Amino acid sequence: MNYELVCGIETHIELATKTKIFCGCTTEFGGAPNTHCCPVCTGQPGSLPILNRKVVEYAVRAGLAVNCTINNNSHMDRKNYVYPDLPKAYQISQFDEPVCENGYIELDSGKRIGITRIHIEEDAGKLVHENGTTYIDYNRGGVPLIEIVSEPDISSPEEAREYAEKLQLIMRYVGISDCKMQEGSMRCDVNLSLRPVGTKEFGTRTETKNINSLSNIVKAMNREIERQEDILESGGKIVQATMRYDANTDEIYPMRTKENSDDYRYFPDPDILRFYIEPEFVEKTKSSLPELPSAKLRRYIDEFKLPETTARDIYKYRRVSEFLDKAVAMGASVKNTANMIIGGIYKTLETEEDKENFAIKTSAEQLSELIRLIDEKKINKNKGQEALAKMLDTGKAVSEFIKAEDTQGMSDDELRAICEAAVSANPDAVSNIRAGKGKAINVIFGYIMRETRGKADMGKVNKIINELIG
Amino acid sequence: MALSKEDFNKLAVLSRLRFSDEEAEKFRNEMDDIIAFADTINNAVSGGTDDIKNTSIDAVGFRELREDEVRESLPNEKILSNVEGHKGFFNVRRCVG
Repeated sequence: MNYELVCGIETHIELATKTKIFCGCTTEFGGAPNTHCCPVCTGQPGSLPILNRKVVEYAVRAGLAVNCTINNNSHMDRKNYVYPDLPKAYQISQFDEPVCENGYIELDSGKRIGITRIHIEEDAGKLVHENGTTYIDYNRGGVPLIEIVSEPDISSPEEAREYAEKLQLIMRYVGISDCKMQEGSMRCDVNLSLRPVGTKEFGTRTETKNINSLSNIVKAMNREIERQEDILESGGKIVQATMRYDANTDEIYPMRTKENSDDYRYFPDPDILRFYIEPEFVEKTKSSLPELPSAKLRRYIDEFKLPETTARDIYKYRRVSEFLDKAVAMGASVKNTANMIIGGIYKTLETEEDKENFAIKTSAEQLSELIRLIDEKKINKNKGQEALAKMLDTGKAVSEFIKAEDTQGMSDDELRAICEAAVSANPDAVSNIRAGKGKAINVIFGYIMRETRGKADMGKVNKIINELIG
Repeated sequence: MALSKEDFNKLAVLSRLRFSDEEAEKFRNEMDDIIAFADTINNAVSGGTDDIKNTSIDAVGFRELREDEVRESLPNEKILSNVEGHKGFFNVRRCVG
C-alpha cells in the first residue's frame, strides 16, 4: 500500500535574554554546575517567580515575524510531570492563552506551513546519569524558551527541513536567539504519522526528539517513516511513543511511551499574575521588525540583480547580509561586493558556524573603500583580492596595502610601453605563444603585473599584447 | 465530589508514588477534603469557573513585569546545602525517563 506523510514540528528556541524567565539568574552558557541558581529556579518552597518582560517582548517579536496574531491577554499555566529535571514537579508553561496564535511560514514553493501557536515557558535542568545516581545541574532550569508549534501541514522530510531552516533564519534575523541546533538553543521535535494515500483520518503519531541538525531532520524522518511503513505493511499497529534518533548509528528507537496531554493536568499558575500586552506595544514591535529573510532574498535577486545562488549564499547568514547591505549603502557596487565576500572572505571562514558568526577583522567601511577602487578601475580585481586577504589577516586599513601610486591612473601610452617591454624581455614565451601554447601568455602577464604593481587593466593589456604578438 | 479510586491511583502513578491500600484510603479521604475546601471558593462566586478567572486580580500591565537585569545567584554551597555529600550537583537515585 502507498502511504502519505502527515507531519508537524514543535520547535523550542532559547531566548537571548540576559536573565532567566522568572528570576534574575544569568542565562549564560557554560558555568560550573548549579552556579546560576537561586531559590526560584530550584523551586524552593515559598519562592515567588516574577515574569521577565523581555521574554514576552521576544515572544511577540517572534510571533509577528511569522504572521501570528498576538493575544493581548495571556497567562502562565502549570504543566505537571514528575521528573528530576524539574525541581517543582511542574513546568511553568502556557496552555490556553499562549502569547501568539495562527501564523504561518511560506516555503519556496509558495506552500504555507501553518503555525498553531507560540508560547513561553521555562527550560528544564540537565541530567547526567552515572552508575546508580542521576546528577542534576539546574543552570539551564528556568532559561526562557518559546515553543513554536506547527500545524500538521508538512508532507515530506524535505519540507520539514525547509520549514525548520526558514524558521531558524527568521528568528536569527529578528535577533531573539542564535538558534544553534548543535548547542541546543534550537531543538526540533518531529511529530509524524502515516495514512493510506487518499484517506483523511490521521494515523497514530510518534514524536522524534534529539535531532541536532537540519540535515538530521531528514535522516531521522526517513528512518521513522521506514519503521512505521514496515509495521503497517506487516499488519501491525503504531504505538504512540517518543522516539530518539541516534545520528551516529542512524538508528531510531523508542524512548518512552507518551503520556497523554490530559495527564499533564494543566492549570493556571496562581503565583504569577495574568499579563496584558498593550496593542500599542504590538504595533511598535511590528514597525521595529527588520527586513525579513524572504523580502531580503527577493530584493537581492530583483533589485540587486544577484544570481540566485549568490543571493542565497549571502542572505542565509544575517551578519553577512547586513555587511553587504552596509558596504553597498556606502557606495560599493553590489556585484563586486558580493564577489569579494564569496570569493574572498568566505575562503577564510571554513564552517557554517564561522560564516554565521562572521567574526572578521575588517569592516563594511573598509571593504566598501576597497571595492570603490575596483569599481572605479583604479586597481584591478587581483590587486583587490590581495589587499582584502591582507586586511582580513591583519585587521589593518585599506590604505596600509594600497598606496597612492597604486591607484594613480596610467595612460594608455605608459601601459603600451610596459607591454612592449614585457614582450621583448620574454622572447621564449612569445615564440611559445606563436607555436600555439596559450598558457605561455601568463609569463607576459606576470611581468606586466609586477611592473605595474598589479594596477594594470587586464582587458587593455590583453588587447595590446594581441596586437603586439599578432 | 468524591475522588474515585481510579483517579487516585492514576494520580499516584503520575506522581511516581506508591501507597499501601491503607495509606491510599487515608490520602484519598484527605484529598477529598482538600477538594471540598476548594469548592467553597467555587460557591462564593456566581456563574462558575470562568467568572473566577475573569474577576480575579487585574492583569498586570506589561511594563510592570520584571526588567531583564542580572542579579547574583546563590553561592553553590548554599544552594546545595541540603544535598548530602554533593559533588557540585543535586542528585537522586538513578532515574532515566
